[in-house]
Amino acid sequence: MKLHLKKMIARPKIIIYLGIIFVLLFLPRILSTFNLILFEYGLTFAIAALGFNLLLGYTGLLSFGHGAFFAAGAYGVVMIAKYFPELYSMEILIPGALLLSFIISAIFGFLCVRHTKIFFAILALALSMLVYALVFKFYHITGGSDGLYVKIPSMFGITFEGVRRPQFLSGIYYYFLLCIFVLSFIIMKGIVNSPFGKALQAIRDNEVRAELIGIRVRRYRLYIFIISGMFTGLGGALWSFINGHVTPDISHWVFSGEIVYMTLLGGFAIFEGPIIGAMIFTFLKLYAMGSTVYWMFIMGITLIILVLLLPTGIAGGFKSLTDIIKNKKFFSGEAYDVNR
Amino acid sequence: MWPIYILNGLYFAAFMFLISLGLNIILGVMGILNLAHGSLYAIGAFTAAWAIVALGKGASITFIYLSLISGAVLAAFFGLFMEYFLIRPLYKRALEYQLLVTFGALLLLEDVMKMIWGGEAYYASRPFDILGKIHILGNPYPAYFLFVMIAALFIGILLWVFMAKTKVGTMLRAISLDREMATALGLDIHKLGTFAFVLGAALAGLAGALVVPTTPALLGFGMEPLILAFIVVVVGGLGSLKGALVGSLIVGQTRSIGIVIFPEIELALLFLIAAVILVAKPEGLFGR
Amino acid sequence: MKKSRRDFLKIAGGTALGTGLSVLGTKGVRAAPKKKATPKGPVRIATVGFLTGAAAAPFGIPGNNTYKMLTDVINKEGGILGRKIDLSDYDEAGGVDAQVKLCRKLILDEKVDVILGYISSGDCKAVVPLSDELGGLIMAYDCGTHVLMEGDKSPYKVPKYKLGFRTKAHLGIDNIGLAFMVKKYLPDIKTIAGINPDYAWGRDSWLIFETAMKKLMPQVKVVGTWWPPLFTTDFTAHISALMGAKPDVVHSALWGGDNVTFTKQAMGMGLFEKIRMAYSRGEPYPQEVGKEYPEEQIICCAGTHYFLYPPHDKWPLNKWFVEKYQKRFGKYPTYPCYHAYQAMYTYKHAVEKAAGLVGGWPTIEEIAKAAVGLSIQTPSGHLMIREDHNGVEDVLLGFSKRVPGYPFPILDPKRLEVFPAHMVNAPVGIRTVDWINSWKA
Repeated sequence: MKLHLKKMIARPKIIIYLGIIFVLLFLPRILSTFNLILFEYGLTFAIAALGFNLLLGYTGLLSFGHGAFFAAGAYGVVMIAKYFPELYSMEILIPGALLLSFIISAIFGFLCVRHTKIFFAILALALSMLVYALVFKFYHITGGSDGLYVKIPSMFGITFEGVRRPQFLSGIYYYFLLCIFVLSFIIMKGIVNSPFGKALQAIRDNEVRAELIGIRVRRYRLYIFIISGMFTGLGGALWSFINGHVTPDISHWVFSGEIVYMTLLGGFAIFEGPIIGAMIFTFLKLYAMGSTVYWMFIMGITLIILVLLLPTGIAGGFKSLTDIIKNKKFFSGEAYDVNR
Repeated sequence: MWPIYILNGLYFAAFMFLISLGLNIILGVMGILNLAHGSLYAIGAFTAAWAIVALGKGASITFIYLSLISGAVLAAFFGLFMEYFLIRPLYKRALEYQLLVTFGALLLLEDVMKMIWGGEAYYASRPFDILGKIHILGNPYPAYFLFVMIAALFIGILLWVFMAKTKVGTMLRAISLDREMATALGLDIHKLGTFAFVLGAALAGLAGALVVPTTPALLGFGMEPLILAFIVVVVGGLGSLKGALVGSLIVGQTRSIGIVIFPEIELALLFLIAAVILVAKPEGLFGR
Repeated sequence: MKKSRRDFLKIAGGTALGTGLSVLGTKGVRAAPKKKATPKGPVRIATVGFLTGAAAAPFGIPGNNTYKMLTDVINKEGGILGRKIDLSDYDEAGGVDAQVKLCRKLILDEKVDVILGYISSGDCKAVVPLSDELGGLIMAYDCGTHVLMEGDKSPYKVPKYKLGFRTKAHLGIDNIGLAFMVKKYLPDIKTIAGINPDYAWGRDSWLIFETAMKKLMPQVKVVGTWWPPLFTTDFTAHISALMGAKPDVVHSALWGGDNVTFTKQAMGMGLFEKIRMAYSRGEPYPQEVGKEYPEEQIICCAGTHYFLYPPHDKWPLNKWFVEKYQKRFGKYPTYPCYHAYQAMYTYKHAVEKAAGLVGGWPTIEEIAKAAVGLSIQTPSGHLMIREDHNGVEDVLLGFSKRVPGYPFPILDPKRLEVFPAHMVNAPVGIRTVDWINSWKA
């Protein structure tokens, strides 16, 4: 009996996922171009936030500097466009962006993982602001605060001369983005459920004990830092094609703060949380900006209410609700103990 | 011109000192990095600018200068508000939440300022104009900058005396050194924490008020000072008053002289220094 | 043989048909083909400018005020082809990225008829390409960077953007004009320096000025350049550094709040006792700063936009404009106001011209085609829109001087210089830098 129960609980999730993907395939027909583009923004932020959450939710490290990796991905794209225009195709751009994110996150990671908590957050912030300042000042290379335009790249041999960006985004790019998103989801889920992922959670819960049972804390932190940075960089690269323009703002700590915000909004204790958070944040911010000139007030107060009243985020709150409905114990199965 | 460059660096260091003092006290005593610190600085600037403009052309000099204190007062009030509603509920929670709630406060306060003072720039240069120029080695130099430096020195000394010699100051230092032990010894952590937060906020507001006669108060005014204060804290050391002094001097002089010798560099140089310190001695020069 | 005869007949027949049709066409059958219905609702115009922040008071607000004033004037006269204007304004704040998103929203979501806007060159560079990308008409009304419409090499193909326009001349006229001014009135100077905001506008302004100076006065040395970021609030270190470098003249494209703050701080630190500034966009600031504004500074008017030029007795349109603006808003109009006029009326006249050709309300592609070659009267004189979608104007420069009757320094009437358009605008398809370098000095 118990075995059957387990299988039935496992299956609904997969069915739900497949259902969602099925619906998403038809989204270009359902949504207006404008809203579809917003949705795509949400997807790229979702990838970035999922990457970020590998570090926060599963390893217990809060970085206020992830914008630097997002920028690494995005600027990787435009730098290739500027200096190697013959190589400007998606097959080269994505690995190129990943490579640049790898380099930057490896350097940052090496410097940051020696510390935890407040030092870690401060260090990440300072390093990302250094990237910001450098990108800003090297006007002749990066375009400084004006930023750089992102041309539509060729994809798998197809060029898009004369195609307007909204057409590109509602056509082949949408499906490409969806594929990458699903792939990233599967890979990150795999990491989290692997022995490596379990070790990270052990480090998060009790660093000393983890060290004592033989987990190499610093090394594992470095590995996940790099993986996290690379996924955020991937998000940045994919974002650059949608936005069409890349500016140093994405390396600023306030943007990093938005990534944290999204993750918290959705809930960092649940794997899918950052996806929900990224989507809601994207639409919330636009709605706020469109309806009032005091949109920062709305975003600020939402964040404060979230932290004070709903620390596990929307997904976490939802899960608690379903737990109560299913009559399970309230605190069982929580991935992250909020009251450390 | 070199005496002027060094004086500029000192002036810059003076107001960096004031704003990073506040950040440091809050960080040292409560362990919170207040991301809304720049907003408190901006509130101080707006309040002082508004007060100076409201007093008008006829008001006496003393009143004009006293009105600068209004900046510190209002910032302190906002700090009190923040501490009570936002920080206190999160004492027991993880540090990350406190950081996030101050980020939320930053977004919120930015628009609160827009609501109160609107989107225009506030020029309130009377205190600056009144003092005029003095000549140092043949070069003209605004006397107001000297006033700011003296004010910062005065406040620094006052604070040092407070921390070292008074009972409350000693208690604050005790908490920042060892929070658990301080609680065990019976210190009222909550009241003292509130006091530290309000003091930090008042210092930020005062810094804003002192600067506003030289530069317009605007939305987004607090962002760069926050980053600079942050660099000072990183360089000088978390929670250390001496560190704030040394850090401000380093930051101030680097910026002033950097602009003369490497005009292209500006902010990037400061971040580079911060990054070097973070790698070599992450606690900062005088940190623990 | 057969084939060629068939081809010959085809060609002959085609030519005959074509000639016949064109003859018919010129015989005034124009009105007949397609008579489009004029849409019923109002014309939706979105304006984007700095409504908050340091650039608001000297720039964004005057521009905005002018749009409002002109909308009322046009609507009172019946609107554009009978359709009233529905004006909505948006804040240019938030940085380049936020503007990209706003532009996308305006074109794709709000579906406005035209966007008249953008003060910052950084925003323009990012947003004007969106006109073709998203299929919306954008008329940049105030930004100046010359690279906006120029290609990578001379000669370059025009127009760069089919639906993007700049209804004014670019910064070439300001900075070439400044160089001419310096050569004429200060031929004995030895050193220059520059302090410019660190983005396209500042970088490009200095580039053109430096290139022109190298050509016109090759003996003059550059002793330093400074690049404070846009919206810097503390120039004290820069001011001291400038004074230390001891230049005779300092070029500056600082604008908006930066210019006011810089000037005030510089006044306080005694810069003007030793150094003369040459402001490429200085015209609004004597009014903003007030009567303490220093004399003898070289000021460029971004065109011939000045409340006293052209003189009111000779050019009634300026008289009308200045009086109307002053009556409603209490200040003299400055160049953002004149630029707003140019944008609004370029759009209006282009629509009217296109409607005349196609009958009924034109599409944005038709409006864009009609705008090329448009020459309109403005309060400053004439504006022409060229095939490269840039405006072409003369440029006015002067020295600030206190003259009785005005509460702030005005341009010394004895040393007002107007350089005609062909002296300061590069020919179509030639990059400004290449053009300057080709002069014989």
